[in-house]
Amino acid sequence: MKFEYLIVMLFTVSVPFIKSFSPEINFYKPLNRFVFAMLIPFVLFVTIDIIAVIRDLWTFNPDYVIGIYFFGLPLEEVSFFIFVPFACIFTWETVKYLAKRQKGSA
Amino acid sequence: MEYTCLVIVGTLLVIILDVILKTHLFKQKIFWIYLGIIVVLMFVVNGYLTWRPIVIYNESKMLGIRLFTIPVEDFFFGFSLIGLNLIIWEFFNKKIKNINNK
Repeated sequence: MKFEYLIVMLFTVSVPFIKSFSPEINFYKPLNRFVFAMLIPFVLFVTIDIIAVIRDLWTFNPDYVIGIYFFGLPLEEVSFFIFVPFACIFTWETVKYLAKRQKGSA
Repeated sequence: MEYTCLVIVGTLLVIILDVILKTHLFKQKIFWIYLGIIVVLMFVVNGYLTWRPIVIYNESKMLGIRLFTIPVEDFFFGFSLIGLNLIIWEFFNKKIKNINNK
């Protein structure tokens, strides 16, 4: 199915995205912390990925991507480097928040 | 072994960056607990991508060792990506704390 990679990505980001607006975590404040932590790795890793595809380290199965490409990378792969870091940073803040809360109640 | 070399360099660079920027992420116990959670989630997402396979690897450019269907290199690739994200994130957290304390 052409949408499979896209579905995997949307599944990955769905819960973190919805929960990122919860006031306890204060995820987007300050905004520059968020922008830099997302942007610098994004540019770096997309560049590495483009080179990796040129160097034939890996390829993407055309059966499972919608077919929009950016320098040889499917749109879904580019979105990977936005959605996965987002989900991972969000999980980090959540783990820290829960640890702090547990410590506070003990 | 091009992919293998790439992830070794990437992993070393984030470890060095963590020291240079004084974020000391990898010294914290909570980070390793967090990483354990991420690895479980990674088995779901990356496991699916490599099982279908949606991403097809060139076996001649890597070790060829896989955990379930995931190449071992992918774990270090993921570590480098998440490491870099969190180092920058924590670098700003520390800066903000310092400003607030002044």
